[in-house]
This record gives sequence, C-alpha cells and structure tokens, in this order.
Amino acid sequence: QDKPLLRFSAVFSDQDIRAQMIQQFEEAIAEDFDMEIHYGGTLFSQGTELVALQRGNLEMGNIAPQDIANQIPAWSILTSAYLFRDADHLLAFFESEAGDEMKAMAEEQLGVHILGPTFFGTRHVGLVPDRRIETPEDMSGIRLRMPPGEAWQFLGEAIGANPTAMAYAEVYTGLQTGAIDGQDNPLPNVQNMRFYEVMSQIALTSHLVAFDLLTVSSSVWNEMTPEQQEAFQAAADEAIAWSTAEHQRSETELATFFTEQGLEVYEPNIDAFRSFAQDRYLNSPISADWPEGMVERINGL
Amino acid sequence: MDPFTIALLVIGAFAILGIPIGLSMIGGSIVYLYMRGQDMGLVAERLLNSMFTGYVILAVPLFILAAELMNIGSMTDRLLRFCNALVGRFRGGLAYVNIVQSIVFSGMSGSAFADAAGTGRIIANMMTRDGRYTRSFAAALTASAAVIGPIVPPSIPMVLYALVSNASIGFLFLAGILPGLLMGLMLMVVVFLTARHRSFPVEAPVPLRQLPGITFHAFPALMMPVVLLGGIYSGAMTPTEAAAVAAAYAFIISVVLYRSVSVAQVYSSLVRGARSSVAIGMLIAGALVFNYVVTAENIPQALRIFLEGYDLTPLQFLLMVNVALLLLGCLLEGTAIILIIVPVFIPTANALGIDLVHFGVIAVVNIMIGLITPPYGLLIFIMQSITRAPLRNIFIDLVPFIAALIFALAVITLFPDLVLWLPRQFGYQG
Amino acid sequence: MRHGLSRAASWLRHAADAIAAAMLATMFLSFIITILFRYVLNWPAGWASELSTVMWIWLVLFGAAFLLREEDEIRFDIVYGSVRPGIRRFMTVIAALGLVGLFLISLPAVWDYVTFMRVQRTSYLRIRYDWLYSIYVVFAVAIICRYLWLGARAAIGHDPMAGNSNLERGE
Ligand code: NA
Ligand code: NA
Repeated sequence: QDKPLLRFSAVFSDQDIRAQMIQQFEEAIAEDFDMEIHYGGTLFSQGTELVALQRGNLEMGNIAPQDIANQIPAWSILTSAYLFRDADHLLAFFESEAGDEMKAMAEEQLGVHILGPTFFGTRHVGLVPDRRIETPEDMSGIRLRMPPGEAWQFLGEAIGANPTAMAYAEVYTGLQTGAIDGQDNPLPNVQNMRFYEVMSQIALTSHLVAFDLLTVSSSVWNEMTPEQQEAFQAAADEAIAWSTAEHQRSETELATFFTEQGLEVYEPNIDAFRSFAQDRYLNSPISADWPEGMVERINGL
Repeated sequence: MDPFTIALLVIGAFAILGIPIGLSMIGGSIVYLYMRGQDMGLVAERLLNSMFTGYVILAVPLFILAAELMNIGSMTDRLLRFCNALVGRFRGGLAYVNIVQSIVFSGMSGSAFADAAGTGRIIANMMTRDGRYTRSFAAALTASAAVIGPIVPPSIPMVLYALVSNASIGFLFLAGILPGLLMGLMLMVVVFLTARHRSFPVEAPVPLRQLPGITFHAFPALMMPVVLLGGIYSGAMTPTEAAAVAAAYAFIISVVLYRSVSVAQVYSSLVRGARSSVAIGMLIAGALVFNYVVTAENIPQALRIFLEGYDLTPLQFLLMVNVALLLLGCLLEGTAIILIIVPVFIPTANALGIDLVHFGVIAVVNIMIGLITPPYGLLIFIMQSITRAPLRNIFIDLVPFIAALIFALAVITLFPDLVLWLPRQFGYQG
Repeated sequence: MRHGLSRAASWLRHAADAIAAAMLATMFLSFIITILFRYVLNWPAGWASELSTVMWIWLVLFGAAFLLREEDEIRFDIVYGSVRPGIRRFMTVIAALGLVGLFLISLPAVWDYVTFMRVQRTSYLRIRYDWLYSIYVVFAVAIICRYLWLGARAAIGHDPMAGNSNLERGE
C-alpha cells in the first residue's frame, strides 16, 4: 500500500547541515511516510513556501518566522533583535507555554503545524573597515547590508547601523569593492560565501538567533493518529537537536578559523547593544501588535 | 504516457503551430498540473513570484533600454564608424565590424538578447541594406557575435551562476574576459576563411589620418565599458545596477553630450524597449513556470543518480557536461539551464577537484552557444524577427560559426589556466 | 461607424504604448533613485527598488495582454511560416482553441490563488498582493479574448501572417 507523500521544500542547499537534518527525519518517519525533498528553493522560492503549504501545494516546509509575521503581525516579536540569548534559549521557548501560544496562533490562523525551530546560527556583524566596535554608537554611518525587506532593514537600524538592501549573491563583490561596509550573517554563511576573504573583522554582536520553523500542514497533521503524531514530533525533535548541536559546534570552530585567517574576532559590549535595540523596537510601531507581556515572559525563561 | 512527457509534447505542438514560445510553455505546464490533479493556480504563482522576486532579471529590460538609448543617438553610429575605420578595409569588412562591435559592446551589456536586439539590429540592417550580405548571413553572424556579450563582463548569466554555485561574481567576471576575446577571434577566422569564397564586399578604406578624429568622436561611447567595469570594481554599483547605469550613461551621452536626440525619439525608444522587454520577459516567464514542472518531476535528481554510476575523470566529466549542455541548449532556455541543470553538476565538479570559476565559465559559454543552436535558440528567433530571413537559411549560415565557437569552448575546457590567469592576477586563490 | 471604431482602436493602441513606456521609464528611474540614494545620500531606498520590480511584472503582463503585436511575438515559425496560408489558418484555429481551452480551465484556480494572496503585503510599499497580482488575471482574460479573435479570424478566411510575412519590420 502507498504511504502518503510529503513534499518538502527548503531554501538551504543539499550541502547544508540542515539537509542532513531533514534526511535523518525522513529516515525516522519512513515507516509511515514517503518524503520528496527539494533543496535550494528550486520548487518554491524563498518566502513562497508558506502560501504553498496553506494552499496544499506542499505538505512540509522550513518556514522563516518573518513569513509568518507577514500574515500574523504578532509574530514579528520572534524576528526582533536580542530576543533570544542563544540556541538553548530558543529551544526552551518553543517547549514552553508561551511558545505553545505562538504556535497555536499559526495553527488557527494559517492552518500550519509547527514542529520546532531549526537554528542555523547567530547573526554577527562582519566589517571591512578595521575600526573597533564596542557600542551601537560605533556603528553609526556604517553601511550594513541587510536582507531586503522592511523588518530586516529595521533590524539594521536597531543595532545602530545604516542598513542597505542588497541581493545575497552580490554581497561578496559589494564588500570587496566598498559598496557596503559590512554584512550581518551567521558564521557558517560567512564561511561558505567566503565573505571572510574581504573583511577585516567580526564583532560578535549576537544580535539575532537565526532560525526557521520546521512545519507541516495542519491537514496532514490532523490526519495522523495520536501515536503517529507523537512519533512524528519525536523524529522532528531528535533531528532538530542534532542539527542545533552541529551548528553550535561549527560556530565555535569557525570563530577560531576566522582568527587564523587574520580577522579580528571579538565580543563588543552586548548589554549596550541589547538595551539600545530593545528600546528601538519597543518605541516603534512594529511592537504595537506584540502579545502583551511576551517579551518579559521570554526574558524570564 | 506520463504527464511530463505529454507536457513536453504539448509545448512542442503549440510551438510548431505558431503559438509564442512563452505561452507554449505556460500551456504545457497547465496540462501537466491538470493531469497530476494539482493546483493550476501554480502557473500564476510561479510566474508572479519568480518574476517579482528575481531582482537580477531586471537587468534584462534595463540593458535593452540602454541599447535603445544608444541607438537613437549617434552613439552607435560613432562606435560603428570607429570599428569600420579599424577593420572595414578587409574583405567582408562589415562582418568584422559586426564582431568587433560585439566585443566592444559586450563590455557594456550583460545580456546577449539586448546585444542582438539593440546594436545587433543596426549592424544587421547595415549589412543587408542594398543586398550586400544575405539576410540569413547577417542574422547568423549577429546572433553568433551576440553570444560573446555575456562572456565578457558584465554578465547576467554569470550572476545567475554565482547565485547557484557560491563562486565569486567578481572573479567570474574577470575569468570571462580572455575566453570572450578568443571567441571573437574564432568568429573572425570563419569570416576570413569564407570571405573570398562568398565574395563579400569591402568597405571604402578610411584614411589613417582620420583615425584620431574618429576615435575622439567615439571616445565617450568607448569609455562606457571602462565606466561600467570601473564602477563595479570600485564599488560604485552592483552588477545588476550596472544595467541601469548603462542606460543612464547612454541617455546622458546621447541627449546631453551629443545633443542628437529629440523628445519624440526618447519616447519611441521607450516604447520599442518596452516591446522587446515584454516579448523576452514572456519567454523568461514561460521558462520559469515550466521550471516548476522540471523540478517537481525531480529531473535533476534523476540525472545526478545516473552520473554517479560512472567513474569519470575530470576531463571526461567536463566533456560530458559540454555535450549535455549543448544538447539541452537545443531544447531549453538558458536561464532554466543555469538555475536548474547546472546545480546538478556542481557537487560532482567539486568532488572531482574542478575549479568552480572555471566550471562556471564553461557552463555559461556552453549555454550561450545553446542560444544559437537549432532548433530552439532565442538569439536565432530574435535575429529572425529583426531580419525576417527564413529560419532554414539562418540555420545553414550558422553552422560554421557554431563550429568555431565549439572549438573555442574546447580550448577553454582543456586549458583552465587560460581562464584563471586573469582572476589570479587579482588575487584569486584557485 | 467603421471609421469611429478604427479611430477608437488606434487611440487604445497609443494609450497602451504610452502606459508601457511610462512603466519602463518608472522602472528605470526607480533604479537610478536606488543607486543615488544609496551612494550619494547614504539613505536606504527599499521602496524604490520594490517599485522597479512592481513595474517590471506589470509591464510584462500588461504588455503581453495589450502591447505586443503579432509580429513582436517570439515564436518558432520554421513550420508555421513556410506552409500554405490555408494550412496555416487551420493550424491557427487548432492552436487557438487549445490555448483558449487551457487558459479557461486554469482560470478558476488562478483567480483562487490571486484572491488568496490578500493575506500578504509587499515589504516596503505595503501593496496587498491580491492587487499586485491581479494583473495576471487581466493577462489571462486578455489572452483568451485575443486567441478567440485570432482563431475566429483564421476560421473565416484570414491568413494570420498576411501583411507581415517577409517584410522588414517597419519601425
Ligand atoms: Na557583457
Ligand atoms: Na539552442
């Protein structure tokens, strides 16, 4: 008898750690489901997977929280700077009651079931000029490339920089030629895009714990028996835990590697950055839709 | 028969029955989705989202507009006069002018289509005026010379390749310069070998003492590649933005400096630019929609599994890629090949220790040659719509040029150092 | 009556030309604004680069619906262009029927997708996606009408290539 087919689309490439994560997951659920995996955004491009899930053109996806925030403004809280301290804090949140509330919102309003956060690194600022960054004030006047989109541009402002949008593929040349002074990406991206070749320093600002959401459409989820759901969730938890640990290991190794490559790698005054950024968010219309008291509950975890 | 095969047959049937290619691919995709019982709204989804988020594609209409703006003023005329003074005196002079102009122009433009539809249109009309060259020869030569456009930087296909391979755009651009010149040289060799036999005309020789004056008049136009490449390498703009700067530069030169343009001319160049952009835009849109079908059918996956069954040496692998891409180029649109097919080969290339910048140049040259290989070649169609020559005759006249470009491709494949020498001068570690 | 109709048609054609030219010009100018803002004034101009992509997608679909003339289309005419006019008329009727049929059966799903997109807005200009993407519906309906017209004309005896075969394109 044919097992149900789960079409999965993600933006990451088949060389990515998360590709191994999804293959682990595929093996773990192989008794109940067949998976058809598309990497590199070839089946659905970045930002279009959520609608594909909602319309039944995909069964599973790795969805950016920004895309959910696009339809549920309250979710923009999870895309803000200095919300999560690190990957463990992020995982703890999605296990918590507060996390359940946010997941329930997506389930009710969008018809998608969130299995868990797929951490892929902490975003740090990497710069071409070698002036030392301690506080957000030191960032003023720095043309920092941020991903296109208003939320991303605001994130750039919230760490004191002068944000500018540029396609990801153009960032290397942009840094090399001075069109931009810096970029903000997790260290693994800095390595595989070879940005480090054209930068002089990385300030470990840790301004955003970057994650997507491993998601299955509610219609598939609700078809499962409770036992199937439990096994499905356990498979996801295990794969996510493995992938998170791999990313944490690689971040530590990469910090050393970049130092060896002659880059200045150091931690600025994180507290100064955090209070500056949280202040910017709370004083902007973006935070108007945030659930009451959610920032405090997350901080308290 | 499975839905994918039927979709291919429907596209072929529509195309033969005279439906525009872009619409044919959309039609075939609808058939596929219908037969699979899938959401036919995906046709709109694919077209709209990929056109709306594919920022780099914007370089296409902007380069077309730049070409239109160059053509209304005396800019192209001055450029052509300069090329004519250099090489017009030889037998088959205008044919050489066509090639040299393409090489110069490729330093300003990132799209072979823009080259063919822009300056290509002018030089092809010059060649066929008074029946000096046959329309099919003019079409074949102009299409072949336009192939060089995206090899020499700036280049839209190189940007797309960088996107899927993570190779550096800057180094890819540098790597294209020598291969582009080699391809131009090979085309000239073909003209040289056939000129007497086909008794091509000679242009009236330009006295050498006029050369400085002609060069002076063409100088702002000749500076355009310097401005664009200088702009990109000094950080003034990204490769995509270079397209808009090219249009602005052409506008300023034609309107402000040469003062050779009226408002009505600017307006009609906008309308013409819009028409070409729409026609080519629909073609890209159709390919992007059909890409969904190719991906959903896991064609790349199947190809990769097939490849792993053979123990290939790097050279065998590259030759196989060359043959595969040339064959695919007979059927598919270039953007589709770069975005869908090329990534399938990259892991294998990496594993075999092939340099990804070298591989990128090979892939792009291949795909560009695919634009002039029958039966499906966008450059052929564009030149056909400009010259109105019968396709059959264009195909015949294309044969020696395709052979020459494939020879250049072989040289590029066999001698990585030729490709990588220039990037290494700028610090490339590969 | 007939005179009035052809004047109206010519007026509409000129209007389509002008709208397309304006879209291309807007696209170009927003690109220039993006560059100037970034490098000269050091301001972000995401809205301008978004405007240029909005213009691009509208230009292509609006243009495919109302701007392109038959001779502008990029087609594979190695067979189509060389057969007898009678056969070509037959080919046109068949192809037009097929294309109209396919666009018609996909139209409800297309409408459903476009209206579904009201849940999202673009990042800078905050345009609701159903408005932005409504141009596809316009395009699809225009293609249906256009090929009904072309098919009908071919059926009543008009050679689709009459008037433009083997002529230099008059620009
Ligand atoms: Na070029
Ligand atoms: Na071809």
